[in-house]
Amino acid sequence: MKKVFVGCCLIQICFMSGCARVKPYEREYLADPIMQGETQFGKQSLEDKFFSTREGSIGGAQGIGGGCGCAK
Amino acid sequence: MIERFKAQFFLKAFFVFLTFEILGVGFLFSQDQGIQYTLYYFSDTGNNSVLTRSFNIVKEVFDKTLMMIDIEVDQVEVPPIIDGATGASRPARQHLQSFEKSRGQVIVGLERFLGDNTTLGGNLYRSYEADYASLSAAGIFRQSLFQKNTTLTLRGQWNKDEVGEITKDDRYLGNWKRVYTGGGNLTQLISPTTVLEINADYIMMRGFLSDPYRLVKIENLSPNFERWLEHHPDERERKAVTVYLRRYLPGIKGGLNGGYRYYWDDWSVDSHTAFFNFNKYVFKDLIFGLDLRFYSQSQAFFFKEDYQKASLTTNSYISADYKLNQFQSTNFGVSLKYFFRDLLSQFQEHDFLENLSVEIKYFRYFNDLNFAGNIVQASLLYSLID
Repeated sequence: MKKVFVGCCLIQICFMSGCARVKPYEREYLADPIMQGETQFGKQSLEDKFFSTREGSIGGAQGIGGGCGCAK
Repeated sequence: MIERFKAQFFLKAFFVFLTFEILGVGFLFSQDQGIQYTLYYFSDTGNNSVLTRSFNIVKEVFDKTLMMIDIEVDQVEVPPIIDGATGASRPARQHLQSFEKSRGQVIVGLERFLGDNTTLGGNLYRSYEADYASLSAAGIFRQSLFQKNTTLTLRGQWNKDEVGEITKDDRYLGNWKRVYTGGGNLTQLISPTTVLEINADYIMMRGFLSDPYRLVKIENLSPNFERWLEHHPDERERKAVTVYLRRYLPGIKGGLNGGYRYYWDDWSVDSHTAFFNFNKYVFKDLIFGLDLRFYSQSQAFFFKEDYQKASLTTNSYISADYKLNQFQSTNFGVSLKYFFRDLLSQFQEHDFLENLSVEIKYFRYFNDLNFAGNIVQASLLYSLID
């Protein structure tokens, strides 16, 4: 599994070094509402909460959650 | 002048809340300043249901300091006999009858901008239900690099949970559980239309990790079987890595998001999750979305469909938790998001409602363990940024 993590890091580094810098005035599309993620301010989204209480996996999303008896 | 301002303020507040109450839905909120009220309803093939109301506000309270308050209330209903497929625990005294249960959650957070590129934040979390309580503290550090082409986020969380048990004679027994979470996120702008994101999480859980009510069927040589209380290991180390790629498609005014998560833990559960999301402007103020998610997991090393008494000791790990079984699931969703900006800007006296948007989502979730659920989520967002 370490290989997966290292692989992801390498891909990221390649992108960082290989891609052109995106200037502030070129970010119109990136600022569009449909490009925004689901992350809420420090909070696990309701969808993530649904999946984490019905599946054996958690983590990998930006929000922080837990503290629910349903996830025993 | 002040009186007029006050009157306008209260009129605006009244209008916003009236709108939400009429629609029966709430706000949706992201990291921008805003107010969000969300109504979430889940029901499944076993007639279990969960209704969640969530209210969330983020507002700049001091210069460069945002404050967040989030309040969430869940109402769970589980029919008789059927075990809690919602995952909600069922007190032993009610194991043969339907029961209703409420859960409350409050999060208070602060986020402080240190210069243009650095953000520091933290929040406190408290949740309570009749037989489960949790206290949590979390911190977050975000640093933008290379003219904000790269953003690095580090986060950590500590949970102190009490896993309670209400016995048949109405006594309360408490068990402790601790959860330590560390994680990071790297977001990289690839081009004016493409963003790459990597998330990694490490989670260590210690303490009572079983359900105190769940019974496991144990086969023995006689015609009868026995039921033993579930017994899981008291430590679990969990890791997850997720890669997202988001791309805007200017030609069709749409966006395509794709991602993959790999999860593994020391109970030998590992899983693969692939998810896709497509959003498109139907017209200027209406976004249509499609979601698709595939999930597959292996089973925990101690999970079995049938436990034989002869092969067990009193210390053996046993479980009836389907979340530790091998299964696959699929989730399909559609959504609509509408921005009121143009519609309401025509009416000058209601121009404050320009910042209003509403989102409705429907999800259908099913797995190969004969479980299916429907989820409806409606949110209303009022942005506090002009």
